Amino acid sequence: MLAVLLIVVGLLAPLLSPYEPTAFSENTLQGPTSQHWLGTNDLGQDIWSRVLFGTRTSLINAFFVAIITVTLAAALGGSAALIGGLYERFILRIIDILLIIPNIVLIIVIAAYLRPGIVMLILILSVFDWPGCARIIRSQTLILKGKAHILAAKTFGGGDLYILFKHIIPDLSPILMSSFIAHARRAVFMEAGLAFLGIADPAMVSWGIIINRALQYSYLSVWYWIIPPALGLAVMVTAFSYVGYALEEIINPRLKV
Amino acid sequence: MKISKRTIILTMIILLLLSLTGCGRENKEKKTVFQEDEVYTIADSTGDWGFPAPYTHYNRGPGYVRMSLIFDTLIWKDKTGSFVGALAQKWEYVEDDTAFVFQLRKDVKWHDGESFTAADVLFTLDYLKEHPYSWSDISLIDRAEALDSHTVKVYLKKAYAPLLANVAGTLPILPRHIYKNINSPLEYTESDALVGTGPFKLVDYNKEHGTYLYAANEDYYLGQPRINKLQFIKIGEQMIPNAVLDGTANTGSIPPELVEQFKAKGLTVLVSDHSWNAKLKFNLQEEPFANKKFRQALAYGIDRKKLVNISQRGHAVIGSPGFIPPDNPWYSSEIEQYDYNPEKARKLLEELGYVLEREFLEKGSKPFTVEILTSGRFSGDAELVKNDLDKLGIKTTVRSMDGKTVDARTTEWSFQLVISGHGGLGGDPAFFNTNVLADTFHSARYKDNQELLSLLNQQLETIDENKRRELLAEIQKIYAIDIPALSLYYPTTYEAMDSKVDLYYTPGGLASGIPIALNKLSFLQ
Amino acid sequence: MEKQRIVDYLIAFLIILSLNFFLPRLLPGDPLTAIYGDDALLSITQEAKEDLAAKMGLDKPLLEQFGIYLNSIFKGDLGYSYYFQSSVQKLLLGTLPWTLLLIVPALFISTILGFIVGLESGWRYGRLFDKRLLTGFMLLNGFPNFLVGISLLLVFSVSLGIFPLAGAVTPYAQLSGIRLLLDILHHLVLPLTALVTAEIAASYLLTRTTVLTVLGEPFILTARAKGIRTVNIKYKHLGRNSLLPVVTRIAVRLGRMFTAVLLIENIFAYPGVGLLIYRAILARDFLVIQGVLFVVAVVILVTNFLLELLYKKIDPRVIEHAY
Repeated sequence: MLAVLLIVVGLLAPLLSPYEPTAFSENTLQGPTSQHWLGTNDLGQDIWSRVLFGTRTSLINAFFVAIITVTLAAALGGSAALIGGLYERFILRIIDILLIIPNIVLIIVIAAYLRPGIVMLILILSVFDWPGCARIIRSQTLILKGKAHILAAKTFGGGDLYILFKHIIPDLSPILMSSFIAHARRAVFMEAGLAFLGIADPAMVSWGIIINRALQYSYLSVWYWIIPPALGLAVMVTAFSYVGYALEEIINPRLKV
Repeated sequence: MKISKRTIILTMIILLLLSLTGCGRENKEKKTVFQEDEVYTIADSTGDWGFPAPYTHYNRGPGYVRMSLIFDTLIWKDKTGSFVGALAQKWEYVEDDTAFVFQLRKDVKWHDGESFTAADVLFTLDYLKEHPYSWSDISLIDRAEALDSHTVKVYLKKAYAPLLANVAGTLPILPRHIYKNINSPLEYTESDALVGTGPFKLVDYNKEHGTYLYAANEDYYLGQPRINKLQFIKIGEQMIPNAVLDGTANTGSIPPELVEQFKAKGLTVLVSDHSWNAKLKFNLQEEPFANKKFRQALAYGIDRKKLVNISQRGHAVIGSPGFIPPDNPWYSSEIEQYDYNPEKARKLLEELGYVLEREFLEKGSKPFTVEILTSGRFSGDAELVKNDLDKLGIKTTVRSMDGKTVDARTTEWSFQLVISGHGGLGGDPAFFNTNVLADTFHSARYKDNQELLSLLNQQLETIDENKRRELLAEIQKIYAIDIPALSLYYPTTYEAMDSKVDLYYTPGGLASGIPIALNKLSFLQ
Repeated sequence: MEKQRIVDYLIAFLIILSLNFFLPRLLPGDPLTAIYGDDALLSITQEAKEDLAAKMGLDKPLLEQFGIYLNSIFKGDLGYSYYFQSSVQKLLLGTLPWTLLLIVPALFISTILGFIVGLESGWRYGRLFDKRLLTGFMLLNGFPNFLVGISLLLVFSVSLGIFPLAGAVTPYAQLSGIRLLLDILHHLVLPLTALVTAEIAASYLLTRTTVLTVLGEPFILTARAKGIRTVNIKYKHLGRNSLLPVVTRIAVRLGRMFTAVLLIENIFAYPGVGLLIYRAILARDFLVIQGVLFVVAVVILVTNFLLELLYKKIDPRVIEHAY
């Protein structure tokens, strides 16, 4: 429900917001008024509009990071399990090694140098996030590989790719879905964290950026400025958690005692 | 049943933690009350500015200031911004010899008890040849000699007006008996590197915690400091106002929005002068930015007043096209002011061959686009400038990068427009030369105008103040016509303090122009 | 298999070493400008700059620099930072203890508390108690850790004045012994709470899920059927079997904790490694960035490795999923 609401807000942001999120005015640092429901920021921009548009940024970021990560993971993990042999070992090695490297540190350093905008951010987050998921997909594919209908498909002459797309992926879809949600959740978190550290493109309209700015004026007790994006973040992450949780219950029926 | 058990244990753990910290609190209060009368505390958001010896403090204003409490210069600026004697009692310029003569004080002792003499001054100048000191350029000093044990004569290669401010008033004099044994001062952080003649001695420096503790030098030749201990502590930028309010610190910088509130609470708020500027830089190696007329068009087309009102929320002075801030004694108002005039800007652009097609300008039926490169704190400025340029029909994009990256790209001329900022506009007007001619990224690196070039060189050699002022007026006039770079605004900063010590912003800044309200003279009785 | 794993770790270690070296250098920005500052107040001659560049080895070709770097790393020398005017080892030794003081207790407290609560919650699966806890922790999980930190700081330090505004000790209070300890604890409470709060939810959720899985295992039913006391079943049978994944996750969480610590140290001006690397990044201080990353990576690698060994010993079945 919450997730749907957020998506609707993200899609309708331009309709719901009374101002352009980047429009300046000379009314800087105003408290909430009837014109500016949540007041204005230090550049006279309307906070309410920015929070609405921030939803959009977060969703876009989450969606694309999750899509790219899961696709990469499915392609590499799935193919490794199907093809096997040296290729599998090679992929597994890469996965193992990448998993050992503390990627978070690398993300921070790269971001600090590049000040990524939304596109760059999505790429950086995706590149470092796929190995864990790939490992799960590989092991699940291995299990599936031994199952009757896939063996059947194989005996009828289905190629590896055909099997991957026609049988494995659909069978894996619950797991893919739950990984998708988990990565989406992480992406939202990471974006906010990087923005908070001030190492994202400050021109981006995102919750993290809004919070980062607001905190610079925390001495003015600008609660109306800090709380809405923070709440947005919390709600979005929680929404993802719930969806993920619900999915897990479906995948793993044993959880229902 | 089980729930309550768990809850009880949890509550107990929390209570335990709380009670522990409660104890800590009590202890701390007793301590601070006991000490409050003798320690003067300065809050700083960065904390660590390096080991406060001349060669090891970080090359930033706050680092220099922490060093300046321990080391003295020959002369120093007082509350009014004029030079008063420090290690030198008297000084004069001997025009015939192009030399300065400094009469040194005879009653000065180093912190370790040794006497200070002319030999120390000569040694320092010598030492600098081997180990350059970033804050003073001594390349124009020909030689120095001691006329007697307490008189030094410094011969110049040619007349050099900034010598007083940037060498005599900036260069810390080193103790010969100690530094002669130090071969790599950049890495030397033993305690004897801190033997100076200044009003304070360092008791402790802690890099991790960003704290400094100083004790008064009771034998200081200008009188004993009126506080026994001075400490710098590190507090996050947003927390400094609270620290000043609740007495954790005696002074600290505060944001403009809190000025009224602090005044109402009986604290004094100091207002800085304007020696820092946000600047629009042009790539002078690339058309159309290399074209004077184009730069003038932008100067008319950018609403600098709006920048002040929005990005600085009114707490800044509008940038002068002549570069020198209006409250600077060298400022001249006889220059083209470029009040916001988009019509005129558009006309100039038309003259350059730009045609408005639909919303945007084209030249030779190619759309004209511009990229502004900027970093963190200027991103708001850049967006505002973009708005103005868009209005002129110049399709503009803003690219935000990390500050150091922007600096690097500026150095390599790989940009079109850059918005960044720098300080140093307070001290000796030699800064004009550094910011126009030098090959650093803050400089416009503009050497095309021969007249400007020769005037700039001339002003450095003009010791007479009035003549120099005339030259600078002329320089500003030409600068405002050529606009090698456009100063957008000069922000105002504020420092709050209680009544214990009367701090002040030294007019023109400390030493070579550091805009920090911590003149060591304010601690003397 | 053992051998291959060790080789994996070595490769990872080498990759980290090289990334560590090349990443900061391939990205734009000049460390000399950082040292010399952007104050237009300075007058530095070209010779002085070249001199320093030579001292820092920046004038040599990149590969040669890499060679020197590897060589000195194996000698245990992390270099000298001309920005901080101190050797990197000294900087790390000065800051690492404070970070450990935050991370280690936070790791323990969040793991143990999260485990206990998660166990209780899972035990009561589907009941009101469980549902409330689950909702609560999920919401907590949603709150970014830096916000928790900021809120704590604003409420307890700024508004209520119970805790100090910044730092790890009261500067120059000349405290000693037990008072110093209390002072340090006093400064530690808020950042530690923030870290624990940020971490506890993850530990809780993981325990709870595991507990649910284990609950379905036959041996629990057997235990129940045998009439063993509930407390015993809960902690002896269920608890021990659910502990494993929680412990293995510690390595993963250590990495995440480092990010959290970076944020939290910045908020509380806590003098740890997080604050150090943040300043080093801003100043383009290659050597310090390298040094910190190196140490952090090594700590994580070693923990990972040890945990893996431990894990294999305890439960040889699950090697395949041991990440």
